[in-house]
Amino acid sequence: MKRFIFFLPLIIFIIISIFLLIYLLQKNDPKNPPSALLNKEIPKFEVKNLFDDKEVITQENLKDNFILLNFFASWCAPCKVEHKMLFKIKNDLNNLLLVGINYKDKVNDAKKYLQNEGNPYSFVGLDRRGMVGLEFGVFGLPETFIINKEGFIIYKHLGPITEKIFNEEIKPLVQ
Amino acid sequence: MVSIIGFLFLCLSIITNLFVVFANIINFFKLSFNKIIFISRFATIFILLSFLTLIFAYIISDFSNYNVFQNSHSSKPILYKISGAWGNHEGSMLMWITIMSIYSFIFSFVKKIDESLKFKTIFFQSILFILFSFYLVFVSNPFLANNVNVSDGLGLNPVLQDPALAIHPPALYLGYVGYSLIFSFAIAGIVEKKINNEWFRVLKNWSLFCWSMLTLGIGLGCYWAYYELGWGGWWFWDPVENVSLMPWIAGLALVHSLFISKGEQVLTKWIVFLSILCFSLSIFGTFLVRSGILTSVHSFASDPSRGLFILLIFFLITGFGLTIFLLKMPEDKKSIKLLLLNKTSSLIINNIIMIIACLTILLGTIYPIIIEVLTDTRISVGGPYFNSTVLPIMLPGFLLMSIAPSLSWQTNKLKNYKYYSLVLISLSVLIVFISIFTYLNPWLFIGLFLGSWIILASLIAIIFIEKKSFKLKFLKNINAYIAHIGVGILIIGITFSSLLKEENDFSLNVGEEISFANSIILFEEITVESKNNFQKLRGKFIIKKNDINFAQIEAGKNYYHVSKTITTEAGIYHDWFKDIYILLGGQENEKWSIKIYNNPLVSLIWIGIFIMVISGLLGVTKK
Repeated sequence: MKRFIFFLPLIIFIIISIFLLIYLLQKNDPKNPPSALLNKEIPKFEVKNLFDDKEVITQENLKDNFILLNFFASWCAPCKVEHKMLFKIKNDLNNLLLVGINYKDKVNDAKKYLQNEGNPYSFVGLDRRGMVGLEFGVFGLPETFIINKEGFIIYKHLGPITEKIFNEEIKPLVQ
Repeated sequence: MVSIIGFLFLCLSIITNLFVVFANIINFFKLSFNKIIFISRFATIFILLSFLTLIFAYIISDFSNYNVFQNSHSSKPILYKISGAWGNHEGSMLMWITIMSIYSFIFSFVKKIDESLKFKTIFFQSILFILFSFYLVFVSNPFLANNVNVSDGLGLNPVLQDPALAIHPPALYLGYVGYSLIFSFAIAGIVEKKINNEWFRVLKNWSLFCWSMLTLGIGLGCYWAYYELGWGGWWFWDPVENVSLMPWIAGLALVHSLFISKGEQVLTKWIVFLSILCFSLSIFGTFLVRSGILTSVHSFASDPSRGLFILLIFFLITGFGLTIFLLKMPEDKKSIKLLLLNKTSSLIINNIIMIIACLTILLGTIYPIIIEVLTDTRISVGGPYFNSTVLPIMLPGFLLMSIAPSLSWQTNKLKNYKYYSLVLISLSVLIVFISIFTYLNPWLFIGLFLGSWIILASLIAIIFIEKKSFKLKFLKNINAYIAHIGVGILIIGITFSSLLKEENDFSLNVGEEISFANSIILFEEITVESKNNFQKLRGKFIIKKNDINFAQIEAGKNYYHVSKTITTEAGIYHDWFKDIYILLGGQENEKWSIKIYNNPLVSLIWIGIFIMVISGLLGVTKK
């Protein structure tokens, strides 16, 4: 029995190591932390239209459609990289509605950005203080959520959407 | 070019350490111990040069180095260019192994210890160095070349641009990494069977030094969180804070155990075990933070291979340490004298309490990981768990520490117990009176009582020491009491600042006044100013009391052009009794949202920590 006590630290240590190893191998990609919102209803929010500040949308307006909610900003270089991909998504998936949320940006910069790069979004919301981003738990830009017809978040991606991610992860979800 | 030189020095250092290790296993050159130790010192010089090269690359903004490009910018102030060298993952790991090597360098000059013991320690230290340097070379090399030609860098994370944070990592690492030497020395002691009085003395000095540095590092981290993060507090039971607290508590237990042993060879098993534990917990903390398992301000962008590599290092080192410990378990030469209430028994009870506290924190920290592996659900364990488990566990320890230093080694008697009882009774009466006339919640009562009792009891002990003086030698003798006074001050500071904190949200126009915490706060104006590498938005607030302006605070935000980030700059009015802490939020229809805190007695926290560090360092130099 006394001997066992001395083995205890080693045993605890090995158990902890095994758990850490499994955890590390299982998923944990630190670049893509899982969202607590996954498979939950979208949080309540309200954003003004970038081009017309009298028009407002809320979570209610996002129901009954497949929505791709994309957080972007004019100051975000990876967003620019992703931008072309958004047009492709729009063309390939007709049943998907693209909603952009302009995150912590200046109104003029955002307008200029969409003029130069083109506007793939059906609606662009203005989130100047990042409050909507806070509701969605946005880690960094660009960040993309896919919302199903019932208003549940079914997918989240942090970082630019690439061809591969689009084909392998987003397409099967929406089709 | 600079990077190549730095990398070359790194390689030279690894080769030298490999040589030291092989010379120990197969000594084909027939070198004496002294010669090998002499050679090992070159490894330190090489790695130091390598680290200085990286700092130099940062100072001259050499963007052909990928690490510099990623983490620096030419318009940064020079201080933050230098601290940028360790403000990122790769650079800080280089600092880690540099400090590790410096420890063995200084250790190689320690006199009066057995030569074979010294030699074995440096041998183990070299092995540790090689393990970590492989990690550096293969998965986080700070000397990678930048393959695009750029004119400027991406900038250091602005929240890290703070003087406290420039010295927080080096201090913390002096503690964390210092435990590597404790580890090597303990293992060398049991392998060589050289656990004697000298071994105890050397271990005590070094572990006290590491512990003091760790305290300083953690303290600076808290200070930074309080002033820079703008969350209105200084400790959040964040996983990153917890992982630094675990080696700290284990190190504290180690220092106290070494004190019990007093050079007599008792509790040897326990001491060796704690020495292994301290370093294991240090690597464990590094692993959790750097693998990206814990997301926080400390998790630099990382990839999973790094996590696996550190896990492997953690597994090898801790597994090796614990196995050697089992195989070559040291035996005590004497038995310890346990009485109902003597110094030894109270210290042992304290040790048990500390280990339970440490395990409780460990459980809270890894519980979410275990749950996620088993059930695939994500939970988080936060403040409420730790506050309601760790604090009550620590309470009896705090009670004991007030009188423990005055207890006798040999008998159950407490010297001058009359004075202690007198002070205890009058203090109790006083606090009961205070609690009747003011509103005190039970925790406040407990905290105030414990804190002042620890301070008073330590003072009584100091008063009854014969031959008082203000010489350094006397201060060294009473360093344990001084440290305990520091803890008492810290407890009072923590209790008041966390329980009597006032917090309020306002929405104000410029020029509006509000009353808060017995004073009037006037929101005078908003200014915008352009600085070298950032833009400053400041709200000016004037605090008035009885129509007299007695302070002016500027709170606001900084916008950093390069990294496109905004940092919150809390405006703090600070005096000995309270901090008024203002955060400027966003603007909506001419009104600014403003958060104001009144944090009483925060300064006592910093004073307490400072006293603990100083008295720890005094103890290191004690003969």
